[in-house]
Amino acid sequence: MKKSKIIMIVGAILLTSLFFLPMWNITLEAPQYPEPIGMNIYINKFQDANPNDIKNINIMNHYVGMKDIPEVIPEFTVFPYFVIGMAILGVLFGLIGNRKLYLVWFALMIAFGSVAMYDFYLWEYEYGHDLKDTAAIKFTDEKGEPMAYQPPLIGNKMILNFKAKSWPRLGAYLMFLGMGLSVFAFYKDKKEKNE
Amino acid sequence: MKKIVITIPFIALGLMILCACGPGSQAAEETAEVAETHPLGQASVSDDVSEKNILQVAIGSDAHSTLVAAVQAAQIEHVLVNAGPLTVFAPTNDAFAALPEGTVEDLLKPENKQTLATILTRHAAPGSFNVEGLKKEARKGRKIYMATGDYLEVIVDGEDITVGGAKVIATVQTSNGIINVVDKVILPN
Amino acid sequence: MNTYKKILGYALTLPLLFVVGSCGQGGGNGGALGSGNAERVYVAPGEHDEFYGFISGGFSGQLAVYGLPSGRLFKVIPVFSVDAEKAYGFSEETKPMLETSFGTIPWDDSHHPDLSQTNGEIDGRWCFINANNTPRIARISLSTFETEEIIELPNSAGNHSSSFVTENTEYIVAGTRFSVPIPQRDMPIDEYKGNFKGAISFIEVDQETGRFDLSFQVIMPGFDYDLAHPGRGASHGWMFFTTYNTEEANTLMEVNASQNDKDFIAAINWKKAEELIANGDFETMATEYAHNVYDESTQMATSTIKKEVRTLDASKYPGLVYLLPTPKSPHGCDVDPSGEYIIGSGKLSASLTAHSFTKMIDAIENEKFDGDAYGIPILNYDDIVAGVVQQAGLGPLHTEFDGRGNAYTTFFISSEVVKWKLETWEVLDRAPTYYSVGHLMIPGGNSRKPWGKYLVALNKITKDRYLPTGPELAQSAQLYDISGDKMQLLSDFPTVGEPHYAAGAPADLIKPNQVKLYKLEENNHPHAVKNEKDTRVERNGREVHIYMTTIRSHFAPDNIEGIKVGDKVYFHVTNLEQDYDVPHGISMIGANTSELLIMPGQTETFVWEPKKEGVWPFYCTDFCSALHQEMQGYVRVSARNSNVPLKWSLDGE
Repeated sequence: MKKSKIIMIVGAILLTSLFFLPMWNITLEAPQYPEPIGMNIYINKFQDANPNDIKNINIMNHYVGMKDIPEVIPEFTVFPYFVIGMAILGVLFGLIGNRKLYLVWFALMIAFGSVAMYDFYLWEYEYGHDLKDTAAIKFTDEKGEPMAYQPPLIGNKMILNFKAKSWPRLGAYLMFLGMGLSVFAFYKDKKEKNE
Repeated sequence: MKKIVITIPFIALGLMILCACGPGSQAAEETAEVAETHPLGQASVSDDVSEKNILQVAIGSDAHSTLVAAVQAAQIEHVLVNAGPLTVFAPTNDAFAALPEGTVEDLLKPENKQTLATILTRHAAPGSFNVEGLKKEARKGRKIYMATGDYLEVIVDGEDITVGGAKVIATVQTSNGIINVVDKVILPN
Repeated sequence: MNTYKKILGYALTLPLLFVVGSCGQGGGNGGALGSGNAERVYVAPGEHDEFYGFISGGFSGQLAVYGLPSGRLFKVIPVFSVDAEKAYGFSEETKPMLETSFGTIPWDDSHHPDLSQTNGEIDGRWCFINANNTPRIARISLSTFETEEIIELPNSAGNHSSSFVTENTEYIVAGTRFSVPIPQRDMPIDEYKGNFKGAISFIEVDQETGRFDLSFQVIMPGFDYDLAHPGRGASHGWMFFTTYNTEEANTLMEVNASQNDKDFIAAINWKKAEELIANGDFETMATEYAHNVYDESTQMATSTIKKEVRTLDASKYPGLVYLLPTPKSPHGCDVDPSGEYIIGSGKLSASLTAHSFTKMIDAIENEKFDGDAYGIPILNYDDIVAGVVQQAGLGPLHTEFDGRGNAYTTFFISSEVVKWKLETWEVLDRAPTYYSVGHLMIPGGNSRKPWGKYLVALNKITKDRYLPTGPELAQSAQLYDISGDKMQLLSDFPTVGEPHYAAGAPADLIKPNQVKLYKLEENNHPHAVKNEKDTRVERNGREVHIYMTTIRSHFAPDNIEGIKVGDKVYFHVTNLEQDYDVPHGISMIGANTSELLIMPGQTETFVWEPKKEGVWPFYCTDFCSALHQEMQGYVRVSARNSNVPLKWSLDGE
């Protein structure tokens, strides 16, 4: 088999790592938490970074009226099908060996990825803004508006005395690598054809 | 190679600075200072409310100025203010004066501190032995165990009591034990 | 090449520049703190001490945990006395811990902590401590710092030569101070001699769980048994006890028990005892003693009364016990790290006696005996003595070792610690104590592997050492640096109760095993509720059980109605928190008990018997959160004959 085909297939299979490796992580650091608390986001679940972290985030956040982090969100039912579908599609394209399909696969990944990030942003916005009226503690920002507690989409952000960090995890990096490999396979195939 | 040679003096300088800031000598001085606040241990405690202890009673007695001077020379004040109970057989000034010419002066010299301490400690017994107690020991044929490990015999003859050959001429109860004033310095056999 | 060497040259000078920098800083501190000693005991905010110190609470009945070298007090662990702060002995769960064959006893006098060992080295699993008055031994977990087990010792009285651990924690050994009639009976006191006996208990320890089993008791002559230590290395399998009152006096002991020139160190061959037990050569004696166990899974203590004990009469079994003559009512009985020397401190003596284990075995094998006491062979003093530290001080009490061939002995009367050398028996250094020192402690100083850096002297008298607090003063501990040739007094720190003995271990041995919280899913308390939905109130006749939870910052339920005057109300409270250091407390107005202090994931119970109609509040007693002051609730109490229905709610739901 041509090297480019193998590279494309490997790239597609890398996607399946999302089933057992976390995709994203949000961590909160503060002086009162010598061991930071955080959660890992998988394609099908939220998980404590350390035991009881989500429970303790919920306890902390309820004082400012934030709702509990849900155990299940609708995306958890959709994402696994999407990931497995894209992986199969990628393997198929690899077997077919048409390098244009590799780019199609890459473009689909970019498109779906962007939708997923936008969805993630919406969820974060909701989580950080939709506060209960009965909140025990109500902070306001400089403009006098109710304070929002939305974690950053990606990067670090200070929220009161907490430093919220939001970064991809190994699952996402492997996915990026897979996407990179599809582009690489495209050029490799082109080179192989020219030889 | 030249560069290396140049750096060596720097290293040497570094080591000197390192040595200069070692805590050794300074710490030793400080420890001495800490201890100095209570050079006599418990005997340094100022307390004019409690009943007087053996040392305080002895200091207040004109007839025991030699004994007190000896205790101070031997630096064993803290033993006499201990919780006890202790019984001290306290030789009077006359008893010390009866020793061969020059003995006391000799013992008070700093180099004889340890000998003096041993002699004085032989006059102290753990436990409370007043006149009644001493008579009982004699009656039961028991010897008194002294803080040095020696045993002293108690002999009762009528109203007279002797301990290790020294006659008890008075008994004073103190807060941490008993002083039996004796007419002789009790020397080892 | 030249460039490479240049870089190397700079690289070498760089660390030195750092050293110079940090030196400047250190010097500044030294000036502010006034002395080098201050720096040596200073542990900066947020930093941890190098050692744990476990210091007995004496007549407080508890065990205090300190950091060394700072002398900071971390925790007072309740062991033999009730502690309202922690609900120990007040909560329904811990009440059974203080049961004895005499009924509930809310207090004792705790003397000698000792740490578990493996191969003669401290292993950081458990701490053991004795109750002196009503004889008991306790086991404290060093992962929870809670008392997990207490066993009562029958036939013992004044459980003083305890609790000492054998080289692999096979046994906790506990000797009686008082000899008594065994079994107890009504008899004239002055018939003591020959009739009273001393019991030495060997408590087997389960290596997995730490659970106790009183394996056997050696019944000894009617002496007083003072302190003890196990053999180690070659002498492993032997246990050594100091005795006094070998005169067998029963009155005016200060005189009558001080008549004999020499008392004994009793050497018990417990390997031999094990053989006898295995062969069935023992007598089973009817008796009564309590065995109390706290189960971490159910979070409840249970107390069981046991009815029998196996005994071995020391007079009957040759080879079980030998007596080593030792001058003047020896107190401390200390074995050096090699296991060869057994040091007896004659408390009325001016010298220390070191017996040789090798010589002892030789004397036994060649039957070089100097008579016997009740059939127990007495060895000849001159045959077994290895050396004497002459005129070391007045009133020697206790010795520990630094692992570098040196020994340190306290002298009560002359109020000092004396450092001397094993094998040459010469005095090397002496340091005064303030005042009247009892025991001392070097971390690991009674094991095969001492950490000979610090020495803690535990003084009996404080007088003017601290700001005065009326007639009753704290006891004083003193910390010495013993890493150099001369001992250096670094600091004084006050202690809780009267510290007798202490034990110490490097923090690294204990810190990694710490339990931070109890996992809710592993909470098997029969009255636990693990979520708010299951909270409820149940009535069973006059008994009412409230199944309550706490989480920041509310109780569930927090409004309860339908309680009646004369009810017996059980509050079973589960702390739902699963976060480190977030306990909640609870107390109820007028409850005739203490608060509860409930750790994350734990369930505890207190009882309230309402006496008056009304609406009575309860609240959280531990400042748990920003809304701690809002963490409260009400119970409505109605008349006995009222028909207010049982009702509970949180936020109206």
